[in-house]
Amino acid sequence: MTTTTEVESEEDGGAARADTAFRDPAWWMGLLRTGFGRGFWGFLAFAMIAGAACYLVIGEAAFRAALGDDVGLLARMAPRVAAALVTAGLLWVMLPRDRVTRLIGTESGMRGLAVATIAGMVTPGGPTSAFALLAVLAASGADRGALIAYISAWAMLGLQRVLVWDVPFMGAEFSALRVIVCLPLPFIAGLIARRIPLKLEIAGSGGNGVR
Amino acid sequence: MTGVGFIVLVGIAAVLAAMALARGGGTFGRGMKRAFEQAAQLVPRMVCALIAAGFVAKLMPSTMIARYLGDDAGFSAIVIAAGAGLLLPAGPVIAFAVAAVFARADASIAALVAFITSWSLFAAHRIFMYEIPMLGVSFLRLRAASVAIVPILAGVLAMLAGLFVTLAQPGQG
Repeated sequence: MTTTTEVESEEDGGAARADTAFRDPAWWMGLLRTGFGRGFWGFLAFAMIAGAACYLVIGEAAFRAALGDDVGLLARMAPRVAAALVTAGLLWVMLPRDRVTRLIGTESGMRGLAVATIAGMVTPGGPTSAFALLAVLAASGADRGALIAYISAWAMLGLQRVLVWDVPFMGAEFSALRVIVCLPLPFIAGLIARRIPLKLEIAGSGGNGVR
Repeated sequence: MTGVGFIVLVGIAAVLAAMALARGGGTFGRGMKRAFEQAAQLVPRMVCALIAAGFVAKLMPSTMIARYLGDDAGFSAIVIAAGAGLLLPAGPVIAFAVAAVFARADASIAALVAFITSWSLFAAHRIFMYEIPMLGVSFLRLRAASVAIVPILAGVLAMLAGLFVTLAQPGQG
C-alpha cells in the first residue's frame, strides 16, 4: 500500500516522473509487491479451499468443468479489463476534479444523487469500468451518497446489463417491472449512506492507499 | 455479449488517449502509469477470485432453494431469494441461469425480483475482485449498510405491483 501511492502527491512534476517510471526497476518491483501482497495470498487460499470443496463434494468432473469455464472467462475478460484500466487511468489524469466535486460533491444534495443514478445507469461495460470510474470519483471528492447511488444504479439498473441479460433471459415484461420497481432505490441507498455514521477512508490515490 | 459494450469501451479509451496525447506534457504517460498501478493491484486478485467464484457457483444447491420461492411463501420467499442472490458469486451467465431455474420451479415474481436485485448488488465475486482491491473495506462496509434493505424493498414493491398487473411466469419461453 505504500509504493504506488506517492504518484498523486505531485501534480506538476508528474510528466518527468511518468516517463522515467517505466524504466525504473524500483517502480516495477513496487508493482510486484502491490500485486502479490497479503491480499493476494488470501484470495489464492480461498480459491484453493473452494476448489477442494468442489472436488470433494461434487466430484472431479464438476471441478474440471468449473476450471475450464474460468479459463475461458478470463481469456474473454482480459481485453475488457485492459481497455477499462486504460480508460480509468486517462480519466484519472484528465478529469476536472473541481467540476466533479461541484456536480456530485458533498453539497450537491438531491441533484447530486440524481446525476449519480443516471450516470450509473448509462455507464457502459462491465464491473471493471464501473468500479474504476467509481474509484476515480471517490478520490475526486464525490459525496458518499452519490458514490453509493452511482454504483447501486449501475448494478441494479445498468441499461447494458438489462438489455443484454435481463430481457433475453427473463422477458421484456418482467425486466420492465424490475426496472420500474428498482428506479427509486439508488436514491434511497444514497440517502441512507449520507446518514449512516460509518467512517469512509478513501486515500487520495483512489483506492491504492485505502485500508 | 462481447459486442457493443466492449466496442464502446475501446472507443472511449481511444478518444481519451487521443485527447491526452493532444494535451501533451506527459498526460498520456501519467495515465498509463496509473493504469499499470491499478492493474498490479487488481489483476492477480481478480484471477484468484474468479476461479474461486466458479467453484462456489457449482456448490450452490439452486434446485433445492427453488422449492422455497413459490407464491404461497409470500414475504419469506422474498427473504430467501434475497439471501440466495447474496451468496451467488458469479457473473450474469450463471446468475441468470439460476434465475431461470427458479422461474421454471414457479418462483414468485417478487422473489425473482429480489433475487436478481440482491445478486446485482452483492455478487460476491465483484466485491472481492473489484470493490475491496479498488475502494477498500471501509467503502464496502458503508455500501453494505446502505443497500442491505434494498433487495427486500425491491421484492416488496414488486409484490405490491403484482396486485395491479399480472405478468406471465418469466423464463418459460
